[in-house]
Amino acid sequence: MSVRTVLKRALALAAGLASALALMPAAQAVPSFARQTGMACEACHTIFPELTSFGRLFKLNGYVIDNLPQVKAVGSDNKESLLLNWLPPISMQFIGSFTKTKGALPDSGTAGGVAQNGSASFPEQASLFYAGRIAPKLGGFVQITYSSQSGKMAWDNTDIRYADQATVLGNSLIYGFTLNNNPTVQDVWNSTPAWTVPFDQRSSLAPVNISTQIESLSGAVAGVSAYTYWRNMVYGEVGVYRSAPSGVSNSSTGGNGPLDSSQGVNVLKNGAPYWRFAIEKQWDRTSLSVGTFGMLTDYHPAGLNAASGPTDRFRDVAFDTQFQYAGDDHLFSLQASYIKENFTLSATAPDDPIDGAGDLKTRRIGVSYYYQRRYGASLGYFSTTGSVNTHRYPGGIAVLGSASNTPDTSAATMELDFIPWQNVKLGLQYTKYYKVRGGTDNYDGAGRNASDNNTLYLFAWFAY
Amino acid sequence: MKQMLRRSALFVGLVALASSLGLAAEDSETAHYANQVCSTCHGVHGNSPSSAFPRLAGQTAPYLETQLRAFKDRSRGDPAAQAYMWGMASQLDEDKIKALAKYYAALPPAHGTAGPAARVAAGRALYEQGLPEEGVPACVACHGPNAEGNELYPRLAGQHAPYLVKQLAYFKALQRSNQPIMQLVGQKLSFEQMEAVAAYAASR
Ligand code: HEC
Ligand code: HEC
Repeated sequence: MSVRTVLKRALALAAGLASALALMPAAQAVPSFARQTGMACEACHTIFPELTSFGRLFKLNGYVIDNLPQVKAVGSDNKESLLLNWLPPISMQFIGSFTKTKGALPDSGTAGGVAQNGSASFPEQASLFYAGRIAPKLGGFVQITYSSQSGKMAWDNTDIRYADQATVLGNSLIYGFTLNNNPTVQDVWNSTPAWTVPFDQRSSLAPVNISTQIESLSGAVAGVSAYTYWRNMVYGEVGVYRSAPSGVSNSSTGGNGPLDSSQGVNVLKNGAPYWRFAIEKQWDRTSLSVGTFGMLTDYHPAGLNAASGPTDRFRDVAFDTQFQYAGDDHLFSLQASYIKENFTLSATAPDDPIDGAGDLKTRRIGVSYYYQRRYGASLGYFSTTGSVNTHRYPGGIAVLGSASNTPDTSAATMELDFIPWQNVKLGLQYTKYYKVRGGTDNYDGAGRNASDNNTLYLFAWFAY
Repeated sequence: MKQMLRRSALFVGLVALASSLGLAAEDSETAHYANQVCSTCHGVHGNSPSSAFPRLAGQTAPYLETQLRAFKDRSRGDPAAQAYMWGMASQLDEDKIKALAKYYAALPPAHGTAGPAARVAAGRALYEQGLPEEGVPACVACHGPNAEGNELYPRLAGQHAPYLVKQLAYFKALQRSNQPIMQLVGQKLSFEQMEAVAAYAASR
């Protein structure tokens, strides 16, 4: 292997790892919404972060329902020129956890050594939110998160939207625009990647699963989209995402911009189109949605010139469904999704008949049941499969390598939850891997078995 | 790519057009507020699809007003009222309460939904005769011959049956405690009788 290929692979892995870590932080219910609306969390969430039908409409209407006293100003034309919440809609979220994998992870500092297994993080994550109405018809959900894994504060999920409602041909029509930093963070059904349930998926388990692009762009892009929801039934949305162009320098460090490919990140060429369509039907306490979403991304890969030259292209097409029953005592839901990605690596593997193109597919299904919103159990399964590719899934790397150069990974997860208060959740989660990166025994070529990644995760979540 | 962008622009344009048409069709400020806020739970035009939220269309205006005031001053304090309506009503002023009540009272009520025949028949007897030996007055005396309501006596016809049962249970448990007549009714009814009379009212 030449030095260049090794370097390229290491970079690709680092980027993969970074995106896997970036994917983990998932925000939850936000008490500032409860303060602003004067309603309990149960109005919007079955169990956070899963949205109820009202929660979905609250979000689509721009987070603006506001039942707080207002600070007002009126202009000389007698029109309101200011309508501010009496309290700023600020919330805090805190997660502490304990994680243990079956096989200890290798110690990166000592060749052949292993790190202590069983890590306690306190906090694993702490987030600050601004979540609520900004002005009439304009609202936002902005999250800033400190993660102990990165040791840094970082901009997390953000969705700022303008929305209004109209009556068209006797039926209600919601329409709006969202500005956000993660494809699907704006979505209202919990079967899309950003807010997938069941499970608290932030567990710091070895990030051995390989994700499609649409699942991995959290925080690395900015996008705007326009959406409509007709008769609380038919949803349509189209938008475009972009990353910052290279060559923009960071004035505080004097270095390159944060999204410069020389910084080890992929840079999107132009805009990446995103689309989403869904239909929801409601019968009394039950709702069913079926939808499709997707994205087309063209990258200048990390380490290559971000302004010109060939690109790696990924086309993601996904289908998802959610079934939800939200009774007074019993809550049940099912979420499932299938994402198919086709890629052509004209930049990373030009003119390579074997590794130059391929596909990656992920399937997820999960069910959860809660009794009186207090005791819950969830069960889920995911499976990732795809074509053999030596560039994307190199061997010879402990834990994250694939001796067979394939992404095939599957695992089942179960979780038990206790929710003493609507804003406090304690959970015990176990993930069992059947296959990791194409193998069960010695899948990485460095002696690790798939089951060594089995993870026990204990967490305490609260928000106020 | 360019084509995609152009299509997105077209879509945005269409949305803007649809919205301007829609806004032109919008009749009043109250209707717009009701559509944007109240309808997210109570359904488009006050006909909620979910029994978690009562239907408001065609409800009597005086009753709607008293309930909104009771949520605002917190005298209607059952669990669902606390979790949802205390917040919603807290900033409504008297003008808005009157306007919303008028708006919903004027909308056409939902048609009744048929329930199990035996249950509906038992409910009808209870509705029309009450339980004289238990001292339960006939519902018909206040809620009207077709459960259509009258002034401060709410319409029950076409309402979600599970919602009506829940309210009777709240009256029984003294959780909805601002209405002595209905507390008395609630105290005397068994759960089966509540289900029967609710099924009958919902079917009207
Ligand atoms: C987040 C959901 C939600 C929103 C939004 C909401 N409501 Fe309600 N509403 C409820 C629930 C739940 C109840 C039942 C309360 C109970 O069982 O005591 C209710 C009950 C009512 C009732 C009493 C009905 C009856 O038959 O006794 C009225 C009147 C009412 N709401 C009016 C409104 C108005 C007007 C608005 C808009 C300003 C509104 N609601 C917005 C959830 C909501
Ligand atoms: C003497 C008059 C009277 C009689 C008789 C009466 N009700 Fe009522 N009922 C009322 C009033 C007044 C209210 C409104 C309570 C309030 O303002 O909170 C009410 C409210 C209700 C409600 C709640 C409706 C809602 O939308 O929340 C139900 C359900 C109900 N009654 C059922 C019955 C049944 C069933 C009977 C017969 C067994 C009955 N009522 C008999 C006066 C009466």
